Amino acid sequence: MDNIKIDATERSPEIDFDFAANRFRVKGESYPEDVTAFYGELIEALDEHLRGLKGATVGFEFELVYFNSSTAKVLMGLFDSLDEVAGQGNDVRITWVVEEDDDNMEEMGEEFAEDLENATFELKKIES
Amino acid sequence: MGFELFKKEAAILENAKAFIESGAIRNRQAAAEFEALLGAYDKLFKSTRKLVRLSDRREAELNKLAKSLDDKNAMLQGLSEKLSKYLSPQIYQSIFSGEQEVQLETKRKKLTVFFSDLKDFTATTEDLQPEDLSYLLNKYLTEMSAIALDYGATIDKFIGDAMLLFFGDPETRGVKEDAAACVRMAMAMQNRMRELQHIWLDKGYERPFFMRIGINTGYCNVGNFGSAERMDYTIIGGEVNLAARLEGQAEPGGVLMSYETYALVKDFVEAEERSALRVKGIAREIRPFAITNIYDEGLTTRKFIRKERYGLNVLADLERLQGEDREVAIAELEDVIRGLKDGA
Repeated sequence: MDNIKIDATERSPEIDFDFAANRFRVKGESYPEDVTAFYGELIEALDEHLRGLKGATVGFEFELVYFNSSTAKVLMGLFDSLDEVAGQGNDVRITWVVEEDDDNMEEMGEEFAEDLENATFELKKIES
Repeated sequence: MGFELFKKEAAILENAKAFIESGAIRNRQAAAEFEALLGAYDKLFKSTRKLVRLSDRREAELNKLAKSLDDKNAMLQGLSEKLSKYLSPQIYQSIFSGEQEVQLETKRKKLTVFFSDLKDFTATTEDLQPEDLSYLLNKYLTEMSAIALDYGATIDKFIGDAMLLFFGDPETRGVKEDAAACVRMAMAMQNRMRELQHIWLDKGYERPFFMRIGINTGYCNVGNFGSAERMDYTIIGGEVNLAARLEGQAEPGGVLMSYETYALVKDFVEAEERSALRVKGIAREIRPFAITNIYDEGLTTRKFIRKERYGLNVLADLERLQGEDREVAIAELEDVIRGLKDGA
């Protein structure tokens, strides 16, 4: 599958999906006007790719400074999918990158991670 | 047990789980369908809880931001209020309301310009302590500024003891009314100066200040002069210089105006013509007029009757019209009344 690279805009995050290396990254702010239009095809492509994995090592990095409620719903779905893939014999590592003084984003990452059963979750703090 | 936001939903989930575990659903497929539905409900329930928490957190953040914006606004307002003291209130108002652009731009307008200073200020101040000088100068400028603002003047600048004010920009009530307001203000200032002279004498300042005022009406360039980094909203032109020149010729405690101003206020101002002047930059000969009296209640103690409306202008100086003069005036006014009634 072709890699996907989308530059960040004021309202949508940078997307960097490297399917060959199984490395995925979402970075920036996310409150697109139409969440379905922005994430729809991305999630579809990702789900299709993840479904075919066996014994793979997958790294997914989220570095978000702000997201709206619709994006939160997308992220929860993404966490579920990643957890499911991890349950199918893949090593899935989710890295939640937050600025060191952003307690809210830290708490949100931890909440998203609390239902993970198979994937590994790591909280990474960076300087603001 | 206390109040729980999702108590009802949690209870439904627990009951449903117990129901499955009890084996009450005999049909295997139905049991599997029910379990899948329950799993999806559980997931949706968790998502809802997370979204509600997220929403609450965002709301709290927004409130915090709104509070910090309020604080910042209050700080900016305080700052702008402090900065406003360096500007004439009209200029401040027109800039902050967006009417006035802050850029190097000037226009030509007919203004009434006021120039004043204190006679022998420099010589007098040489004998004063700096503290006394500050007190006297600030008291004088504070009192005069208050009067200026009462009459709607735009305070251009203070140059030591001198003041440059004008009427007609950024707001104007018309050239005639602007000139009238300026002359009334000048007289109010001289009246207040007489009171201040007594106060200062009482306080031990033996050489109280006398103010000289020059007024002129004419076309000036008004607007922002200077550089893009540092500009002054001010007026320039020969007519401004003329106001300064008239001020220099005014008697201590007096008001000297040009004919151009006098022509606009002569209905209620009495003045004596003084020797003509020549001013650099102005081709015409200047005819100065020194104000001797103003027929305006509150600005004079003189007794008078004044009626003014469109097509009518009557001024009766009760102090001058004594004895026979008054009889003649009454007869003349009766003639006027008869004429008005007959429609002649």
